[in-house]
Amino acid sequence: MSFDIALVFDSIPKMLEGIGLTLELLFLSTSIGLILAVITLLMRISGRRFLAWPAMAYIYVFRGTPILVQIFVIYYGLPQFDLIRESIFWAILREPFGCMVVALSLNAGAYVSEILRGGLLGVDRGLHEAGKALGMSTPQRFIYITTPIAVRLAIPAYSNDFISMLKATALASTVTLLDMTGVARTIVAKTFAPYEIFIAAAMIYMVMTWFIQRGFGLFERRMSRYVKP
Amino acid sequence: MGDVVGWLDDYFWAAMVVVRVFAASLVMATLLGLIGSAAKLSKIRIANGIANAYTVVFRGTPEMLVLLIIYFGSAITLTTIAQIFDPEIKFVDIPPFWAGALAIALVVGSYMTETFRGAFLGVDPGQVEAARALGLSNFQTFIYVRTPQMWRLALPNFGNHMLSLMKDTALISVIGLEEIVFVAEMATTVTLKPFTMYFIVALIYLAISTVITLTVAGLEKYANRHLESGR
Repeated sequence: MSFDIALVFDSIPKMLEGIGLTLELLFLSTSIGLILAVITLLMRISGRRFLAWPAMAYIYVFRGTPILVQIFVIYYGLPQFDLIRESIFWAILREPFGCMVVALSLNAGAYVSEILRGGLLGVDRGLHEAGKALGMSTPQRFIYITTPIAVRLAIPAYSNDFISMLKATALASTVTLLDMTGVARTIVAKTFAPYEIFIAAAMIYMVMTWFIQRGFGLFERRMSRYVKP
Repeated sequence: MGDVVGWLDDYFWAAMVVVRVFAASLVMATLLGLIGSAAKLSKIRIANGIANAYTVVFRGTPEMLVLLIIYFGSAITLTTIAQIFDPEIKFVDIPPFWAGALAIALVVGSYMTETFRGAFLGVDPGQVEAARALGLSNFQTFIYVRTPQMWRLALPNFGNHMLSLMKDTALISVIGLEEIVFVAEMATTVTLKPFTMYFIVALIYLAISTVITLTVAGLEKYANRHLESGR
């Protein structure tokens, strides 16, 4: 056995065929996840029990179980019910892609809502009181004071979660999708050169991680431009 | 529910496999984290470089890929070596248990490196100076002074890493470890009740993660006991 460097570089273009699906999964599920997270967060801080409890149960369940199991429950599990198969959601849940997006979004929603809550708790109370003293209404204070500061405080944790989501998209290969890892696995099945192919895939993931980190770093710097001199 | 009862002991033993792989992986990950953070904080350039490369690589690669590289990579290497001695051998692999435990430990260890590094930096430098004044060696200072104090600061994050490590064990079913996801797959082919079977898997994981969360909360209380009594 020898390590074939040429094969690493030959396989990268093939692997990039899967990058489209990986990015699609990543951006769709992080966007839907963010919306879910905000809704869940608002439910949690609403102070009404019948809203806060379902939100907490949702967070507890989706943070306490592996994403792989969530994907399998949705992809293999839900078709067990006739009700699901006859509903309008079947168009989405019939496809592995739809299931993957649903699972990843629900997962992201649970994690991100906790991250946003952390940011919210970090906002200085004094700023809130200052807003009140200036005669701002509660919604105004929430939109113009709390939200921008909470977002800035939540960016580092959110960027970590974004990277976890990128890594979670690799699970798509377990439900027959040909994302980057899926493509890598089919190439390995043909060439039987696991080191070269998987390391090539890992390199692409690392480059993507680096871009995500840089992107959030720049965003964070912009959001904190009034903090640092 | 009748379908489930027949599989309960399979689920139980598979859950024990999850607990064992979790324990093995946690020990390795903690050691990797301690070594990695010590290397990052040391003044030796090469150690710094290796530790940095380690965290960049394993924090940027999906767990799934690391698992596939470790398992299939080691299988092909071992098979080649075995064939030198006996050309009849077709396939040799590391047991999925250990390949999986190692792969997950490598990934979580890279996160723990960062957590421990931050916690080491949080230990009062005066403590290290005091240890030096008492004539403790660098190694003794690390074991008896810095690690016990770092521990308290690292615990909350360490608990989160424990949870993600536990959840990552589900991936090992992909390379054929007979843990609970694997049992659910088998049970589904027999009973044709996929939702029920995978839902049980989710419940088992939820139970394990609840136990871990409570344990960490207890440990945190224990680690901070000297702070409470002062008040």
